[in-house]
Amino acid sequence: MITLLKNAKVIDPAHGKDGVREDIYIRDGRIIAKPSDTEKIQQTIDLNGKIVMAGAIDMHSHIGGGKVNIARMMLPEYQETKRYTEPEAHICTPSCTHHATPSTTDTGMHYIEMGYTAAFEPAILAVNARQAHLEMGDTPMIDKGGYAMLGNDDYFLRLLAGKADQKAINDYVAWTLHATQTIGIKVVNPGGISAFKFNQRRLNLDENNVHYQVTPRQILQSLSRAVHELGIAKPLHVHCNNLGAAGNFQTTLDTMGASDGIPMHLTHIQFHSYGTEGDKKFSSAAAQIAQALNANKHISADVGQILFGQTVTASGDNMMQHLNAKIANPKKSVIMDIECDAGCGVVPFKYRDQNYVNALQWAIGLEIFLSVEDPWRIFLTTDHPNGAPFTSYPHLIRLLMDKSFRNDAFAKLNLDAQAMSNLTSLNREYSLYEIATMTRAAAAKLIGLHDRGHLGVGAAADITVYTDQADKEAMFSKPDYVFKDGELVVRDGKVVKVVWGKTHTTKPAFDVGVEKGLKDYFDKYHTMQLDNFKISNDEIAQDGRNQVINHMPT
Amino acid sequence: MQTSTTKTVNATCPACGLLCDDVTVSWQGSDAKLDVTVKSGKPCGKTVAFFSRPLNAATPMIAGKPVSLVEAIAYAGKLLQQAQMPLVAGLSTDLAGFRAAYQFAHPTQSNRPQANMMHMNVHSSLRNTKVLQSTGWQTTTLTEVKNRADMIVCIGTDVVHHNPRFFERAVWTDEAMFTDASARKVVYLGGDDLNTAPGVSPKGELPTVLPCATIDLPEVTAALRALLQGKVLKVDAIAGVKVSALTQLIEQLKQAKYAVLIWVAKDLDFPHAELTIQNITESVVILNQQSRAMGLGLGGSDGDTTVNYAHTWLDGLTLGEQDVDAHDLIVWINSFSPDKPMPSVSQPVIAFGHPDTQFTTPPEVFIPVATPGLDAAGTLFRVDSSVVLPLKKVRESTLPTLAEVLLKLEAQLA
Repeated sequence: MITLLKNAKVIDPAHGKDGVREDIYIRDGRIIAKPSDTEKIQQTIDLNGKIVMAGAIDMHSHIGGGKVNIARMMLPEYQETKRYTEPEAHICTPSCTHHATPSTTDTGMHYIEMGYTAAFEPAILAVNARQAHLEMGDTPMIDKGGYAMLGNDDYFLRLLAGKADQKAINDYVAWTLHATQTIGIKVVNPGGISAFKFNQRRLNLDENNVHYQVTPRQILQSLSRAVHELGIAKPLHVHCNNLGAAGNFQTTLDTMGASDGIPMHLTHIQFHSYGTEGDKKFSSAAAQIAQALNANKHISADVGQILFGQTVTASGDNMMQHLNAKIANPKKSVIMDIECDAGCGVVPFKYRDQNYVNALQWAIGLEIFLSVEDPWRIFLTTDHPNGAPFTSYPHLIRLLMDKSFRNDAFAKLNLDAQAMSNLTSLNREYSLYEIATMTRAAAAKLIGLHDRGHLGVGAAADITVYTDQADKEAMFSKPDYVFKDGELVVRDGKVVKVVWGKTHTTKPAFDVGVEKGLKDYFDKYHTMQLDNFKISNDEIAQDGRNQVINHMPT
Repeated sequence: MQTSTTKTVNATCPACGLLCDDVTVSWQGSDAKLDVTVKSGKPCGKTVAFFSRPLNAATPMIAGKPVSLVEAIAYAGKLLQQAQMPLVAGLSTDLAGFRAAYQFAHPTQSNRPQANMMHMNVHSSLRNTKVLQSTGWQTTTLTEVKNRADMIVCIGTDVVHHNPRFFERAVWTDEAMFTDASARKVVYLGGDDLNTAPGVSPKGELPTVLPCATIDLPEVTAALRALLQGKVLKVDAIAGVKVSALTQLIEQLKQAKYAVLIWVAKDLDFPHAELTIQNITESVVILNQQSRAMGLGLGGSDGDTTVNYAHTWLDGLTLGEQDVDAHDLIVWINSFSPDKPMPSVSQPVIAFGHPDTQFTTPPEVFIPVATPGLDAAGTLFRVDSSVVLPLKKVRESTLPTLAEVLLKLEAQLA
């Protein structure tokens, strides 16, 4: 069957198209070239000049796995927000449920209703990958994938401390991608999660983990090189040391130089862009960070914007979350050490616009967005749910696209914070083309999804149709149509058909000899069998859902 | 089935929350005796019993009389259509079984009423959930214990009654990355009828036992927490436990490189036991300000951790208690433990379970189903929550899985 989307106004940065009037043809879930006149077109939708983009891709959102589920369990009161008719404060969208811990069903539904067709869980503990896939498997409508966490696991740290050669590291990294069915590698507070288990409370880039006598810098060098040499698309996903600490921007700047020019992605960089100036010893270092991002072409980043209201922070960084637990709101938290593999910290937070630090965090995120020049290297995230629930994206997009709206919001903030931010001097307004770049084309390119994030012939027909409106929040809250793999699944912002997305992975080749060392390690130190650590395709793809796609490394 | 060849399967044991996955089951033919071994040490009685259960002929029944599966499903469908407020209870099953049960309880296609759900271990699970939802906690997992813990404090429990191989697999291990395994310090604080023999080290070092009755643990753990906070107690002893002994325990905890405080919610069976668990977990929080310590809740079985976790992500909320009397039909699921009797109820019952399930009164409908990890493959969460393990199909069986039966029942109702 062929579907024709007639009179589309196409914004497709992967092909340099900015508002080109075109017809789009879909067959068997793919975009096809204009068929011959003899072929029958079964369905025609006249879009009458509506904006058409590829389905959006969230390259960093905590949608599955232990941390998120602990947050759900710990915070039953958050389910109440489902019933709120009035959004919190002035800062939410009318359509934003501001629900930080949605069920898997609600997660998939909310994403697709905003025109997102894929989301990637950025912090899969390798040992917990099966749970992450089970949860993502129960998340309908969208494609899923994840990044496996390495760099605090004792197997890797033993290799590094034992001066294993790079090939051994590469084999282990590739093996991990296979075993955990993931598409990227993440490192969280390099060496710090392990150091916390040895009672270290902070770890700087060139400071040794007391037990292994290796530094975060060495960990970053080793892992970024492994990822690069294996040829996987997604650069090493780096959650820097010193998350959330005043003055941490220097660590972030130094981290950019740690990989000797090999690509790295610094995640939720807003949380790592803090100076120590002013009476309160907490200031914006967004200018320095943005300048460094502009200069270092091998570095990309996502922002991790905060928006005001109640949320929960869920991180693998138990070292820093243990410190943050003191300011939990409501006052409860979960801190875990996990399986000599990693850890986690789940701390509820309420960001308030009259709180100096929170207000400045809000401004810092926006300052970074507006000061980084290349939309191919800066990504739109709230680090869901850490900065805000992903449902607040339409609001965030409006903040980026509408200067007067942004300045009005800024004028309501804590006055001391206003005095410490140059936000109103930044005149930039993002264009639709730039938004499409950061939420579609660039995200797909970064992760290595060659047939997503664009509208070229052969692409998967993940397509979102919007009515252009002056109020960009309204526009991005409620697409007219969303197509998932060619099927019409959303009409007027509501799901009309339930589908199940795919699971994206990458599986670079490795020397099977790597399992010898792993088997020995598992037999001696682990509490499960090596074979049970590995997740098969059949465990993920069941009943025709969540088909595993392997993106070949280059 | 062939009778002469030996069959061997590497299996994962779902009989307790530890999910030992180093089990090998081998046998000759269908009737011959099973041989159950584990990689190190001896298989525990629970494991042997689980894998040795005979595969008895099983047939669906209506009011205790054998019927065909079709008849049983038809009658179950009729009962469901009449029900206004069904309760899906027991829920002793694995992940696939629970997913199916959840869908069954929350129909989207038919106008059948939604069903409430409740696990057979709800009372002990809730003791933990209440702490999690009140203050949270700081906890660890088995591999961390195995490689790091130099001090293990069992509070109100000997653990082994629930998790027989805990000391063998996580304490007295041949290897540990960061500590001398055989030199670990073991302490038992309170509890009734404890078996402390597994706490004796391989070198013969006896564990420290600070005895008090389980019912006195609220006071004793409150004293421990208060002392850790630096409060001064104006008594010499709390429920028979000397304050000096508690002070000494605290000093050892502070000196430990990685202390682990263990409880089993099922063993803390008294009103408001959650407050005792909270005393334990908040003691850990205080210790972690200066040194390293972690809590660990053990026990777990009948898929309780799995069911609670999966319900949470599917629904957004943990699985809670229900008033059985407020329901007019009970759907009872017990795939793992035929020896655990169903509580007697006055409502009609549709039961799905192990073929050997015993009932005091025959239910209206009984449909035998496969046991995950024995008759069918499956998936379970380990009690320490981060590890999820595949269960293997160990033997040939014609029993349908719970999911298969529920799908058929769903089709009947559509």
